[in-house]
Amino acid sequence: MTTFDTGERRRSSDARPVIAELMDDATVQAIAEEAWTALVGEDELLLPMPGELPADVLSAWVDVVGPWTGSVVLTTGAQTAAELTRTLLAETAPPLLDHEDVADAFGEIANVVGGNVKASLPGPSALSLPEVGNAPAVRNPADLLRVDVLWRGQPLSISVQGALPPLPVQ
Amino acid sequence: MRALVIDDSRAMRRIVSSILTGLGYEVRDAGHGREGLDVLDEGWLPDLVCVDWNMPVMDGLQFVSAVRSNPAWRQVTIMMVTSESEHTQIVKALAAGAHEYVIKPFTADAIRDKLALLGLLPQEAVL
Repeated sequence: MTTFDTGERRRSSDARPVIAELMDDATVQAIAEEAWTALVGEDELLLPMPGELPADVLSAWVDVVGPWTGSVVLTTGAQTAAELTRTLLAETAPPLLDHEDVADAFGEIANVVGGNVKASLPGPSALSLPEVGNAPAVRNPADLLRVDVLWRGQPLSISVQGALPPLPVQ
Repeated sequence: MRALVIDDSRAMRRIVSSILTGLGYEVRDAGHGREGLDVLDEGWLPDLVCVDWNMPVMDGLQFVSAVRSNPAWRQVTIMMVTSESEHTQIVKALAAGAHEYVIKPFTADAIRDKLALLGLLPQEAVL
């Protein structure tokens, strides 16, 4: 007797959550605010308002690999990333910042935000070291949370974005 | 009192070192676990090590295991300072020989409270 694979079993085992099923914008915003006040300064506020990012942007991100796999990406203007670095380094900031200084400071903020996002997700999950540069592409628009804020009047976005493409429609 | 701060982020080393210096510690720092072991190998023995979890070359967990395998460094108190807030990760660090942990982001008061618990607040910070 011939049996046919209807695809039911494969589809059910392939089911995977998208980020909006696991957390919401308010949680991402709260994590970012907590990181900001602890690392950048008690008086440093993130206002939940969209702003237009400049053409010259920089991203810092960490990857989360686990039941949900993706990246936590912070993106802001290059000038804002440099200002953020000066604020973090305070009196130890060199007169002229180089890319390594900015990558270190901006990457550490992404690391802290990403680590706390990871802790809010089902585990166990692994966290990568931070990377800085051009943000990884959004592979599945349905697996994306994005929070837009202003820091010192400058726009900054925090994206929690899945690394996997959408499943094919059966 | 002496403290060694180990973190691959210079910004984070600055933040932690600044808190500890403000409490009266003499502070040195290192960019990863291997560099931290080099400081101990020099004979500069700290009362406290604050060590990150995720680092290149040698991570915090490997550092804790290495320190605990050397009887000469038995007196060193180790506090993990990490964004790894998952319960299982913290249990691993404590099982390997860390005494305490602080989750990033943290405040200066959180560090101070942990040090008070460990009996590692310098006299000038207690007064």
